[in-house]
Amino acid sequence: MSVLSEISEFVQMGKAKNVKELVKQALESGISAKNILNDALISGMLVIGEKFKNNQVYIPDVLISARAMNQAVAILKPYLTQEGVEPVGKAVICTVKGDLHDIGKNLVKMMLEGVGIECIDLGVDISGEQVARAVKESDAKLVCLSSLLTTTMSYQKEIIDTLTCAGIRDSVKVMVGGAPVTKEYADEIGADAYTKDAAEASEVALSFFNKVNI
Amino acid sequence: MKNKVRSIYEHKDRTIPILSFPSTQLLGITVNELISSSDMQVKGMAQIAQRCNIGASLNMMDLSVEAEAFGAKIRFCDDDIPTVIQGIISDITEAEDIIVPEVGQGRTSTYIDGVRKAKKTITELPVFCGVIGPYSLAGRLFDMTELMMECYDSPDEVKILLSKAKDFIVEYIKAFKSVGADGVVMAEPAAGLLSPSLNEEFSIPFVKEIFEEINDEDFIICYHNCGNAVVHMAESIASLGADIYHFGNAISLKDIIPFMPKDAVVMGNVDPVLFRNGTPDDIKNNVQRVYDECSVYDNFMLSSGCDIPALAKWENIDAYFEKVKELYS
Repeated sequence: MSVLSEISEFVQMGKAKNVKELVKQALESGISAKNILNDALISGMLVIGEKFKNNQVYIPDVLISARAMNQAVAILKPYLTQEGVEPVGKAVICTVKGDLHDIGKNLVKMMLEGVGIECIDLGVDISGEQVARAVKESDAKLVCLSSLLTTTMSYQKEIIDTLTCAGIRDSVKVMVGGAPVTKEYADEIGADAYTKDAAEASEVALSFFNKVNI
Repeated sequence: MKNKVRSIYEHKDRTIPILSFPSTQLLGITVNELISSSDMQVKGMAQIAQRCNIGASLNMMDLSVEAEAFGAKIRFCDDDIPTVIQGIISDITEAEDIIVPEVGQGRTSTYIDGVRKAKKTITELPVFCGVIGPYSLAGRLFDMTELMMECYDSPDEVKILLSKAKDFIVEYIKAFKSVGADGVVMAEPAAGLLSPSLNEEFSIPFVKEIFEEINDEDFIICYHNCGNAVVHMAESIASLGADIYHFGNAISLKDIIPFMPKDAVVMGNVDPVLFRNGTPDDIKNNVQRVYDECSVYDNFMLSSGCDIPALAKWENIDAYFEKVKELYS
């Protein structure tokens, strides 16, 4: 088994320590950081995403895989910069105002990072103004809004309206999700996409970035 | 089947949705006023019992109250249930230092008092108390995302935390029993996000211990889990020994009923979000769908899949009961 396949396997098992050791070995053996990122780390996360979608693995498994990947990416970062590798794109992500639930948001963030998207995580209880500011500052092209409560899902619309008022709605795609949110609701509030889980979120996010050619 | 459970089961038109917080609208008060007054809670329960054809009266399903008793920080809202905003430990190794609080801390005394008073006011129906499950409480005392990962990294420390959560929950339910509660609805939703093997290791044994401690012939035990992975852990859930199993709408109830004990009632599945955001027709259609899928099973009863939101429209709640009545008339 090649070292890249081995790294991918350990990512899927969530074994951060093994992943980090092998990533260092791979770098030392002359494999480019870009190759390690794409052919070991991201490929491992894509397998996990697919398994999650098919109920073959569960949220904790995705979390530990994503953690292993993130720790490895931290090692790769200076090498990636040296090689001139850019992230697939940037996304601003948060749980909306009034809502403090963060598992879904964290999971989506980790899955997005797992496919090479840089995430600006604003946390929970976030207003439209905070999102608009973060989009302007980071030049992110994607906004991901999470809401677990029926009482807070309406803030997803408020945030979209704030982006419109700030004149930046057309420069970003907005994805929404969360237990009470549906495709119909997403359409009604003018979001660009509704995704039912984190795996689907990463697929849709990637498709947006391909479309806007970042 | 216990006699009290049988009397619920024999009246399938009298369902038990998780319905407590919408009483604020009937009383013209805020959620904050409801959760801080046992008198208001009883008034609300009485109004619901008068208006709706329920099979049991449920006090509060407030999953922040136990964590608050441990010292967690809570955010209160006028129009929604309280939420834990900060746990009491930031590292799982601190679990060992946690001191299990006495029952009565925070709002637990108010809720116990609410059940005591409800038993005097609502004499025709069983009165249920609501409590959180051990894994869900542990997540609130620490951090839900971190807890999931610590199940792999530090299982022994996680079990220390779970054991303390369990000890408090046992005493809390015993306090409810001592004031006359006829049953308990234990909500363990966070465990429904785990893998089957993690659930079997980190939730099931602790829930079982709680049920063994509180079980008796006169006390109804209802296990609620609205997580989306419950079908994959059906076998272990079925082993809990609950009298009623209650599931959410993240699954199709028909997929789990066959795996539940035949002498236990299985209920839930009607989309709780529709009570707030849908129309009476949406609710009726949803009830019909669940009924069509599950009524072939003798031990099935209709219910909301989770807590009906405080701001649910009462026309939708009324539509739910109308539809249930129509189906069983």
